[in-house]
Amino acid sequence: MKRDAKDASTVSSRQSPLRALLIALPMMFLTLLMLTAGKRPPDPPHVAALAITFVFFNLFFFLMVRTGKTDRYRAPLFITYAVAFVISFISRIIEIRGSMALTETNILQAQAPFCHIAIPMVLIPAALTKTIIYPGTIIGSFASISSMLILWIGASLSLGRGFCGWACFFGGLEDGFSRILKRPVIKRIGATWTYLPYAVLLLIVLTSAAAFSPTYCEWLCPFKTVTEYVQVTSLKTLIQAIIFLSLFLGLVVVLPILTKRRTQCGLFCPFGAFQSFTNKANVFDIRIDRDKCVKCGRCVRTCPTFSMNDASIAEGVSRITCMKCGKCVDTCPKGAISYHVKGTPHPGRSDRYRLLFLYPAFLFLATMAGGSIRDAILRIIKLVTTGSMV
Amino acid sequence: MEGFLLGVSNGVICVAYCTPVLVPCLLAGGGGLSRSTAVTLRFLGGRLLGYLLFGVVAWAIGRPLLQAAGYRELITGSVYMVLSVMLVLFGFFNDSHSCSAPAVTSLVLKPLGRIRLSALVPEAAGLATGLNLCPPFLLALAASVEKGSLSSSLFFFLMFFIGTALFFIPAPFLGLLKTVPAFRTVGKLAAGLIGLYYFYSGLIMFVGGIKSV
Repeated sequence: MKRDAKDASTVSSRQSPLRALLIALPMMFLTLLMLTAGKRPPDPPHVAALAITFVFFNLFFFLMVRTGKTDRYRAPLFITYAVAFVISFISRIIEIRGSMALTETNILQAQAPFCHIAIPMVLIPAALTKTIIYPGTIIGSFASISSMLILWIGASLSLGRGFCGWACFFGGLEDGFSRILKRPVIKRIGATWTYLPYAVLLLIVLTSAAAFSPTYCEWLCPFKTVTEYVQVTSLKTLIQAIIFLSLFLGLVVVLPILTKRRTQCGLFCPFGAFQSFTNKANVFDIRIDRDKCVKCGRCVRTCPTFSMNDASIAEGVSRITCMKCGKCVDTCPKGAISYHVKGTPHPGRSDRYRLLFLYPAFLFLATMAGGSIRDAILRIIKLVTTGSMV
Repeated sequence: MEGFLLGVSNGVICVAYCTPVLVPCLLAGGGGLSRSTAVTLRFLGGRLLGYLLFGVVAWAIGRPLLQAAGYRELITGSVYMVLSVMLVLFGFFNDSHSCSAPAVTSLVLKPLGRIRLSALVPEAAGLATGLNLCPPFLLALAASVEKGSLSSSLFFFLMFFIGTALFFIPAPFLGLLKTVPAFRTVGKLAAGLIGLYYFYSGLIMFVGGIKSV
């Protein structure tokens, strides 16, 4: 009886194996297209990396469709993506520069790779001052500003803040750490702190425009620890390195373990705060059927970004910060929470709404993660066969 | 007229220097248009006081000392550190009581009775950003010391202030955001974070100034 209740959310979305396979077929074709870019792999290691990546993605998509569980199969992919990104990025940076350090020459020559977290810091001052405040190239080079912006616009239109749950190449790190303990050690976090990302966003936008420098990248990015760092040559750069390391250990490792939440995303990330606004323009949202809801509070306790609270349950919709990871949908014992398309009846065909969301979300995940995972596999094969990743 | 034109031509830079402090203060105020106008005016009052103080100093000791290596960093660094403490208290601690850090501030507050330190944030922020020796301000300083008399120097800075103040006219409209209560929380937290940023900037400037003097 208890098991029946636990699986209530799954029953309506569960598909037969044949039907699940048919639904997964277009994704197989699309992922193959994305991963190969229409070219045949040049050698056996490339074939192996491509095959492993292709099977990995499509097996998990099939399971997602077959079982009706979203987060259960999203999380392993997302975590693998983050780890693979770190392996691939660091190896590539060492190949290009010889070390992970970003020197003053690199900055002056605009060779800093651009990542999506810097988007609000670039976009808002650019709209006001017509100046792009970032030491990277607009087009042409590795991780250029325009390519990231185009990906971001596409992801924002189709996923809203779902970008953070399906496409961000850093989120998987804390997602992984947040799943280490079975129960949280720290259970209560003041609601005021959930507004901190907006304050950080305001801070970096204003200070970037005032100082004409990318404040977040210079001072506050926890992920410098696992990507690139400014070469320590002075007291200033030493302080910066200490801040990066402290924020990474605190927000990406320790607090996610202790709280079982994505604390960097939910309590600090300015991009996440900025991306929350795109949820307003996006067609998908997470709705709560108040007739089915028994107010057990499981969704409130498990939401990684503090996007469920008593007020949102009463309103029947998740908060603006929701990244549509599907964790609450999976854990609701009464199946009261579901994906929904704005403007359509609720509760309606939630299984169809979910599939409509899964296609763009998974395709973005595969597009963003495919290259990193394939490259990381190649690097590992290289490490095993030659003793070096680069 | 020269001071006014200099202010108008450099106002955008002044706004860029001031908004990181002013905007969080306005959002944290949580009031409507009238309250935001009052906060902006108090902020501008602080700035005017800072400008006039410099007008006096420029007349009294002249440009050479103020532009000498180290003094600029010492002055700006000290002012930034005082401002940062106020912003952090304002941003991260509850200001509904007389003061959030009575042990630290009682020495300051005793002579002033029960004045809330955090209530003076707009004036202090205006004063600190007014004393900031930013490029347009140094231009104004250089021009004012040529004037010779105290009244001319003060008048020059007054006109410079009026020229730059024109760019602050849109600021009170942030008060229209009062319908969203979350903005107040965000503004307060941002003020605290800006305080930390200014503390670091002030400390580095101060240490650099000591080394140079």
